[in-house]
Amino acid sequence: MVKVELKGVTKRFGDVVAAGDVTLQIEDGEFFTFLGPSGCGKTTTMRMIAGLEYPDEGGIFFDGEDVTNLPSFRRNTGMVFQNYALWPHMKVFENVAYGLRVRKVEQAELKKRVDEALELVHLDGLGGRFPSQLSGGQQQRVALARVMVINPSVLLLDEPLSNLDAKLRVEMREEIKEIQRELGITTIYVTHDQEEAMAVSDRVAIQNHGVIRQVGTPSEIYSFPREVFIASFIGRGAILEGVAGVSGGVPRVDLGGFTVEGVDSASAVGDGDRVACVMRPESFSIGAPGEPSNRLDGVVEWSSFIGPYREVKLNVGGTTLLVDVPPERETPVGGSLTVYIPVRRTIVLPWVEVK
Amino acid sequence: MDLKKTIGTLKRELDAMTAIQTFIAYAFLLVFLIAPLVLMVGQAFVYQGGASFRWFTDLLSSPEYVSFTSRGGRLFEVRRGVMYLWGHDYGILLNSLIVAFFVTVFCSIIGVVAAMLMGRYRFPGKSLFRVLLLIPLLATPFVNAYIVGKLFNPRGGLINYLLVDLLHVLPWRLDIDGLVGVILAQTLSYYPIIFLNVLASLNSIDPSVEEMAENLGARGLRLFRTVTFPLFLPGLAAGAVIVFIFSLEDLGAPIGFTGARANPLSRKLVSYQVYSSFAEALTGSFSPKIAALAVIILFIAVAGFLIIRRYVNLRTYAMLSKGGRWSPRLRTPSVKTQVAIILSLIFLVTLASMPQIGTVILATSNWAISGTLPTKATGQYLGTLVSDPDVTRAIVNSLLYSGAAVVITVLVGSSIAYVVARRDIPGRALLDILATIPVAVPGIALAVGYFLLFSSKMFRGSILDPLLDPALLMILAYSIRRLPFTTRAVSAGLAQVDKSLEESSMNLGANRPTTFFKIVLPLIIGHILGGAILSFVYSMSEVSTSVTLGALREDRVPITFFISQIVYGVAAVGSVSIGAALCVLLMAVQITAMAISNFILKQKVAFLGV
Ligand SMILES: Nc1ncnc2c1ncn2[C@@H]1O[C@H](COP(=O)(O)OP(=O)(O)O)[C@@H](O)[C@H]1O
Ligand SMILES: [Mg+2]
Repeated sequence: MVKVELKGVTKRFGDVVAAGDVTLQIEDGEFFTFLGPSGCGKTTTMRMIAGLEYPDEGGIFFDGEDVTNLPSFRRNTGMVFQNYALWPHMKVFENVAYGLRVRKVEQAELKKRVDEALELVHLDGLGGRFPSQLSGGQQQRVALARVMVINPSVLLLDEPLSNLDAKLRVEMREEIKEIQRELGITTIYVTHDQEEAMAVSDRVAIQNHGVIRQVGTPSEIYSFPREVFIASFIGRGAILEGVAGVSGGVPRVDLGGFTVEGVDSASAVGDGDRVACVMRPESFSIGAPGEPSNRLDGVVEWSSFIGPYREVKLNVGGTTLLVDVPPERETPVGGSLTVYIPVRRTIVLPWVEVK
Repeated sequence: MDLKKTIGTLKRELDAMTAIQTFIAYAFLLVFLIAPLVLMVGQAFVYQGGASFRWFTDLLSSPEYVSFTSRGGRLFEVRRGVMYLWGHDYGILLNSLIVAFFVTVFCSIIGVVAAMLMGRYRFPGKSLFRVLLLIPLLATPFVNAYIVGKLFNPRGGLINYLLVDLLHVLPWRLDIDGLVGVILAQTLSYYPIIFLNVLASLNSIDPSVEEMAENLGARGLRLFRTVTFPLFLPGLAAGAVIVFIFSLEDLGAPIGFTGARANPLSRKLVSYQVYSSFAEALTGSFSPKIAALAVIILFIAVAGFLIIRRYVNLRTYAMLSKGGRWSPRLRTPSVKTQVAIILSLIFLVTLASMPQIGTVILATSNWAISGTLPTKATGQYLGTLVSDPDVTRAIVNSLLYSGAAVVITVLVGSSIAYVVARRDIPGRALLDILATIPVAVPGIALAVGYFLLFSSKMFRGSILDPLLDPALLMILAYSIRRLPFTTRAVSAGLAQVDKSLEESSMNLGANRPTTFFKIVLPLIIGHILGGAILSFVYSMSEVSTSVTLGALREDRVPITFFISQIVYGVAAVGSVSIGAALCVLLMAVQITAMAISNFILKQKVAFLGV
């Protein structure tokens, strides 16, 4: 298991910046995820870690050792490709055994380790099949077993679940997390699915146009997005535009019809700035919470029963907010409703037009 | 910084295996393709020790080569009950261009019509016609033209007998000979090239495009002209340029016609002139004027090829695109139209397969001497394939040369395909072009280049010296000329192997050679074998270098040289029927290869007639 470091890693394809000055430290045994919209450079960044692509600038280090120009076959990373990349001419057993064969592991040991790997991913007994005879979920497990068997120093997973149906996706991600925790292997995961990222990761890096915009634990990123882009990419809820008035470190935001107090999580807001105000629907409550809060009085525009909660569009002073209220609470359209949101959950960010 | 980056990339991309592959490919192409041609071009520009256009101005100003008035010949002339269709002699160079032009036009018309019928209509017997239309691709070098000449002979030719004496549908006998005869023989052999290319284009047209046009009110001819035609034009252009080049370099028809009719007009072609000058080359010298002639057709062919290649991607030229999706554009026309379609296809298939049918008849009967129709079947000619030591030796020679050529072609071709498809090295695009260009290089020009280079002082007395032993040179010539077949087949295979299959192998610890042999090779072996088979078949029936370089030593002659001698009538061995028997052997090899390709390797590879 190793610590992976990226220092100023940059990769361009013509005019496209696939990785822009990426500097990161991924700790030994950590489950680290690159999250971002499609085309933002996640795969490219991962491929550079795997040695399948080489940076134009910057360096990559495993436990302090410079591997920037080391070919893939000398890095001992185990990468699961988005399309699995199983070899169609080899049976499952041979697919899994491949990495051991090129390492010249002797026969008895090889068989034992392949069997263990297949067991680990619950594919015992399917070694004699060809990949084409397996379901998507099974193929994905073979791909995983194939890299786990070589005890890679880093496990690299590029959107490993994107080709599976929704239910299997949840099942598999739990399994992957389970295996990772059991083996304590440094794992780098790539996905564009924020829920998936939140569910499995120790830390998440948000990438956009090749550049890492924020790194943090899932809850940090969710609760304190540092940019409008991140706030809009992750989680639900309206992002409102307003003007900040800062006094004593607490910004007050004039949202047109009303004003709220919030936190400046990026410490980047000045007096009179154009700002974005992020209020998550689930941060609202019906009763006043025992902490500094904003009180908002509005009229119900639209209401929909989701199950665990009721989703309400609330018009406050001409602005529409998305608010979750307890399911038992009746919210007739046209009725008035008062909600509260803690100040620490009202995020104020510098306004940037989201592309 | 940029230089450092380039060097860094180069160091990574140019691992030992890629370096070896690239080096071998370039070295091979340089020595056996570029150097001979460059030397030939050089020679053509030398006059009395100095650089000069003399040979070219000589050629272009001499009426023997370029004449704007007819120097003889007959066209649509009726004399004493015979309509003469020979064509006019406008000089050797113009003749070649005129013939190639008409062959291309006729092949395009036939090819497009056949492809439209096969690609757009449903009618009974269609799958049978699909096979029958490809019969002309079966190689019957020299003998095909001989048979066309024999059939259209005003004295006792079968066609004249049928149309004039039996059915009385024609008021005069037809005498098709000379340049018109060459045009006819070449058209019949080459139209499938255009047919296949256009059909592949038609099948790959998204049917909704045509349907959309119909919705907007375009029908019939208008639909064809505005939508369908532009969409298959790339396929047509690709096929047409190849037909043009093949016609330009063809020796089969001029020699075959000479054998049948001895009309000198059919020999007034560039390819034949270059060929015949090899007789004097035996003495070790070669006329620069002939080299200049070869340079001219080399230039025309390569320029035409490169221009068309820019316009359409010629990658698919040898391949019937994968399987051909069953197009829902198929229409079932009225019964009357169906009958008309079937009748016209029967007419086309019968006419176009005459050479192949005739070859089989010639080889198995006494038709060569019996006159209009054969009167007796005999196995005697086929028997000579094993009993006559000269014939057997030619067969063994061809098998050996072709086998050896295939080994070289596969090694070089696979390397090129792999480097071009997978490695990011400078000169990759050039390698791609060089591996394709032999399609466009007239074999006769390559033969001249080989002769000039390898009989020069530098190679005199070496194993490459054709005056000493042309065998090795023929092997190399075959492997260069058939290189595009293998390269294209392997490229097609590699295109189906996702890059990630290799990357995952390297990620798991396998270096590039291991990855190549354990992952890539098993996945493309079918394509490699398919390309190898194709190269083998077309090496067996290779004409241009075989009849020129092959002539240089009697015990080294390959099959096609042997056939040319028999058909031309200069061989002591006797009947043209033995030539036909050899062609039957070639056809058998080809059919077997096609069957192996299609049914065992499951490769849909169309066979070009080369
Ligand atoms: N080999 C390549 N050549 C050219 N452009 C590439 C290549 N690989 C990736 N790109 C471009 O780099 C950007 C990032 O791609 P990628 O890393 O695959 O994004 P992601 O995995 O986040 O969807 C995209 O704009 C993509 O088109
Ligand atoms: Mg990706």
